[in-house]
Amino acid sequence: MSGYQPQTSQTADSSAIDIHSRAVSYTCGDCDGDVQLKRGEPIRCRNCGHRVLYKKRTNRMVQFEAR
Amino acid sequence: MVGPKVRRPYPQLISHLHAQEPPKPRPRAAPRGAKKAAPGAAGTGATQDAGGDTQEGKRALAEDGMDVDRPTDAADKTRRQKAPLNSSAKDEFAAMLEPFYYGKSLTDPIDTARDKWNLLPAFLKVKGLVKQHVDSYNHFVDVDLKKILQANRYVRSDLDPKFLLEYKDIRVLSPNRAEEDNLNGHYKSTITPNECRLRDMTYAAPIVVDIVYTRGSSRVRRNNVQIGRMPIMLKSNKCVLAAKNDREMALLEECPLDPGGYFITRGQEKVILVQEQLNKNRVIVESAKGIMQASVTSSTNERKTKTYVIQKKGLMYLRHNTLSEEIPIVIVMKALGVLSDEEIFVLICGDDAEYQDKFTVNFEACMQAKIFTQQAALEHVGHRVRLTKKFGRARNYHLEAIECLANVVLPHVAVEGTNFRTKALYIALMARRVIMAEVNPNLVDDRDYVGNKRLELSGQMLSLLFEDHFKRFNHDFKLGIDKVLKKQNRAQEFDAFSHIGALKNHITLGIERAIATGNWSLKRFKMDRAGVTHVLSRLSYIAALGMMTRISSQFEKTRKVSGPRALQPSQFGMLCTSDTPEGEACGLVKNLALMTHITTEDDEDPVRKMVFLLGAEDICMQTGDEIHREGLYSVCLNGTPIALTSTPKSFLVNFRKLRRMGRISEFTSIYINHDFCEVHIATDEGRICRPLIIVENGRSKVTARYLKALRKGTMEFEDFLTRGLVEYLDCNEENDTNIAIREKDIGQYTTHLEIEPFTILGAVAGLIPYPHHNQSPRNTYQCAMGKQAIGAIAYNQFTRIDTLLYLMVYPQQPMVKTRTIELTKYDKLPAGQNATVAVMSYSGYDIEDALVLNKASCDRGFGRCQVLKKTVVPLKTYANGTSDGIDDKTAMQPKNLADPKYGAIGKDGIAQVGARVNQGETYLMKAVPSDTTTGARGNIPMKTQEMRYKLPDPSYIDKVCITENEAGTSLIKLLLRQTRRPELGDKFSSRHGQKGVCGLIVAQEDMPFNDQGICPDIIMNPHGFPSRMTVGKMKELHSGKAGVLRGTLEYGTCFGGSEVLDMADVLVKHGFSYTGKDYLTSGITGEALQFYVFFGPIYYQKLKHMVQDKMHSRSRGPRAILTRQPTEGRARDGGLRLGEMERDCLIAYGASQLLLERLMISSDAHNVDVCERCGQMGASGYCRICESEKGVRRITMPYAAKLLIQELGAMNIKVTIGLEDEFGKGGYDYEA
Repeated sequence: MSGYQPQTSQTADSSAIDIHSRAVSYTCGDCDGDVQLKRGEPIRCRNCGHRVLYKKRTNRMVQFEAR
Repeated sequence: MVGPKVRRPYPQLISHLHAQEPPKPRPRAAPRGAKKAAPGAAGTGATQDAGGDTQEGKRALAEDGMDVDRPTDAADKTRRQKAPLNSSAKDEFAAMLEPFYYGKSLTDPIDTARDKWNLLPAFLKVKGLVKQHVDSYNHFVDVDLKKILQANRYVRSDLDPKFLLEYKDIRVLSPNRAEEDNLNGHYKSTITPNECRLRDMTYAAPIVVDIVYTRGSSRVRRNNVQIGRMPIMLKSNKCVLAAKNDREMALLEECPLDPGGYFITRGQEKVILVQEQLNKNRVIVESAKGIMQASVTSSTNERKTKTYVIQKKGLMYLRHNTLSEEIPIVIVMKALGVLSDEEIFVLICGDDAEYQDKFTVNFEACMQAKIFTQQAALEHVGHRVRLTKKFGRARNYHLEAIECLANVVLPHVAVEGTNFRTKALYIALMARRVIMAEVNPNLVDDRDYVGNKRLELSGQMLSLLFEDHFKRFNHDFKLGIDKVLKKQNRAQEFDAFSHIGALKNHITLGIERAIATGNWSLKRFKMDRAGVTHVLSRLSYIAALGMMTRISSQFEKTRKVSGPRALQPSQFGMLCTSDTPEGEACGLVKNLALMTHITTEDDEDPVRKMVFLLGAEDICMQTGDEIHREGLYSVCLNGTPIALTSTPKSFLVNFRKLRRMGRISEFTSIYINHDFCEVHIATDEGRICRPLIIVENGRSKVTARYLKALRKGTMEFEDFLTRGLVEYLDCNEENDTNIAIREKDIGQYTTHLEIEPFTILGAVAGLIPYPHHNQSPRNTYQCAMGKQAIGAIAYNQFTRIDTLLYLMVYPQQPMVKTRTIELTKYDKLPAGQNATVAVMSYSGYDIEDALVLNKASCDRGFGRCQVLKKTVVPLKTYANGTSDGIDDKTAMQPKNLADPKYGAIGKDGIAQVGARVNQGETYLMKAVPSDTTTGARGNIPMKTQEMRYKLPDPSYIDKVCITENEAGTSLIKLLLRQTRRPELGDKFSSRHGQKGVCGLIVAQEDMPFNDQGICPDIIMNPHGFPSRMTVGKMKELHSGKAGVLRGTLEYGTCFGGSEVLDMADVLVKHGFSYTGKDYLTSGITGEALQFYVFFGPIYYQKLKHMVQDKMHSRSRGPRAILTRQPTEGRARDGGLRLGEMERDCLIAYGASQLLLERLMISSDAHNVDVCERCGQMGASGYCRICESEKGVRRITMPYAAKLLIQELGAMNIKVTIGLEDEFGKGGYDYEA
């Protein structure tokens, strides 16, 4: 089976503790800028006002089976 | 990029096949060779000439003889300098991106016979493939909208006679977001269609009006008052994509090859299909059940009614819905003011004795009714007028009759003042038609004739819709102001303007809803059509294109009549002869041919003036005797006779001359009908027409000179029209012409020349190479399958988030292409791959069209595709103020971190991009409030709802898009990706209706190979050929093989393409057999195969039907609640049905135990206590009816049967079960 390994609990612990600083970074669909978004915030790029945001690619390892 | 002087035909997707081929010395004139040697042509040297028109195949030989007037490279430079003349050549890439006259360089000699087809790309450049839709929409927005406003200009109040609101002007602004509506001024919206797709918005623009209204005692003018929003058709003149070049399109994340012509409502792409209808305002003579009738469907802005003149038992009547009974024709004529019997007689019959004999009886009917005056006739008619409203006072029959005859019967024939002459003439004409058809049955009209059809496009559909909504808007507006005006003393001065704002949603939502659902319900015309719009199919580029050219018919599909389904000879060149679905919609759904244009409405008045200027006399001034006199022809404008001419031929010629000079709209058609002695002029909308080259004095008017100018870019298609070299002909006018197919066919009487014969096919059928060598149904099959092929969708395919998207990983343009492929740009967004095919038998896994695939080819990417599926999760807001959210905590809790179920979830509770999800794993942690109904304020606890991935095969998260729609609801769109390689059972098809599934995947080592070591990608069974008769496929292989060897792309254009003999020459030159057959060695035994094998490239499409989406099995599983039988369908993990026919087999065979097992035990066996005595069901061994336990027996029966008995009981039908001992005591307990 391929796939990625679940993250070790080390980093997750710190984020689980601090709820208020858990801003997730997204990419704006128009200007490609970085958008830090917290829960419940309006979905909007702070730079250009575009309302389509994309999630960034995972930084965890992804393993593909070549066939 | 290559040097500027080298015009590469195309970015070669299949370059590895032939790119390294050294340029072959070929007999070719020096200048071309010199051009070929331009630096930087590396690797494509040979292909430089590839695009050279290979259509007739013998090009090299033919051109050698004609290299006379050869311009120098200077001419080429002028082409470059003049390029900016073309609107599309805005950046330096445009010239390369738009290889306009494919592969033909400016310096190439022009042969009108062959190069006249250059007009076709010129036509498509101006008109586009879906220009009909865009033209129609533009006409609606620019012209129709203003007409509708004009017709509904005033709003008055019942209460205040001084109040008057007048609409001055109406405009549709440029598209914006709904929230930007109030930002007036010079705000320029940055909205793009793609944003609308992603955000589930409607791509619309504000509709604004200028109004002048009464406020107090003054008149107030307000400009730019918004009354609603109009959905904008993509690529129409209001769209942001209009007149954008490729680079600007890329900035807007839009595909430059996308045809446009559709709407985006609520994020969905919606097409308003072209509707086919019988033409309006024309007399149609039909005979049904021995009754001859002439009918007219009149359609004006105010009314839509149908009027008949029928012949019943030798007598003629007028029939109309508002008349309670049929009225004898003579009475009607008298009511219309034609008083003398003589005049009626002559108006209808002329001096033809036979017609007179037939008609004479009708006077008797009038006599018997004792009607001799107009007054009496009107009374007679008035008595039979159905009243819409009941009036208390006595009816004035006389006036009612006048009103009815003037406005309700044949409303399209205008009555000016009290001049009923036009209407009388029209009814006389209808009556005459009936008599003529009675005498000569050949004159009965053919409803299926394309000239009697009109196509209704999106503009017309929208204009009906808008008018309805606008009328309702005005009505609601009036009610609103009346309500305020009713109050005697108001606090402040009344301003009607404040009421408009409240109503603008009506128009916006009404139009949006109609387009989104496809339900066109208009009260006024009693129209209630469903399925007018469809979601644009984005399976492949060609599927989307095919949808835009589709025409749906109004006939019901259930009727088993062949007439409307049959191929009409008049379809030639207008509607595609091949592209129609199979099955129930066969022949009812059609497609436009490549060069068709659908007319928009033109103004009648200038044409009417022209008719009289050309010497025709007003028909109202003429007596019946004159109208029907020998040699006199009446001139009809849109079906209504308006004038009379004694020189029809010269009238016709002069009229056409004026049209060719551009004095009248080029879409006006004129033709002569000798049967009825009529000249018909049509300016109405929805006629199908196509351009043809004009031939005069046996010579085509399009000469080499003009073609050269066209190629140089100094002339465009419009110039050909204005110079009278090319003209549009509609179906009726085609009948007056003598069209030569090829230039050599031009004879003494030829009037027109076909631009290109292959344009009788449409865009989808145009993909087929050598279709003229195939059996016709095969081309039809391919038309259906070409739309299912997986390929490239659009240049912006990776920015789209569609519900379902199939993409091919390595698409290739076909080796053997057609002109249509180039024109539709299919070669830039192809859907298939050039597979090397060996036509031979191999193993037993290739029977019944199964294909044997090469495993190594699949490893290298043959048939590899991606499937992208969308999941949208809207975060809803509920009535009590609570709303959905995302649970970002659960998955991050330490105990869950190791849980593979949450493996894909990121910090925000949404799956990570790039993560893999297996069956049962969560991709979104949605949090739903536990209470969504009560108004409980405060902290409502949230429940976590995990969105789980259901499919058995894993996917990767391709994209996660977080956005907000217009209503402010957050949307989370996840795109899941699967990459699939071909597997057993995947469906493939060539371009000749030859589909097959993969039957076996063989290791390359076991594949046969030729002396160069080439292995086939596909082995196809030769049994596919004899019965299917797809010779085109063989020719494709043959030409394709030659093309591979020579390093060129060959052409298989319909009625043209590379010739077999030329291709055979190429094969021989490269050391292959001229037949295309190769000597192969078996990969299994190493022995030479005992036969030569037909071997070469064929373009194969992978179709969307893949086993992975269909594979299904179940042993035990879920059951339906009601019947307790296994569920149905793969999605519900359903069982496999043993149907009626299978059951019949088991019954016939007598396999009773198997039957019992399949139909009951494995399905819905249920134990019931049945009372032997009363035959009713009891419970727990006790019968309630008999009040005893004595007769109760436990039996097993299907639960569905038990349910039926109880349901019947609920309907008061008693069912008794009779029990009988068969095997004695000691039953068998089946359940559980």
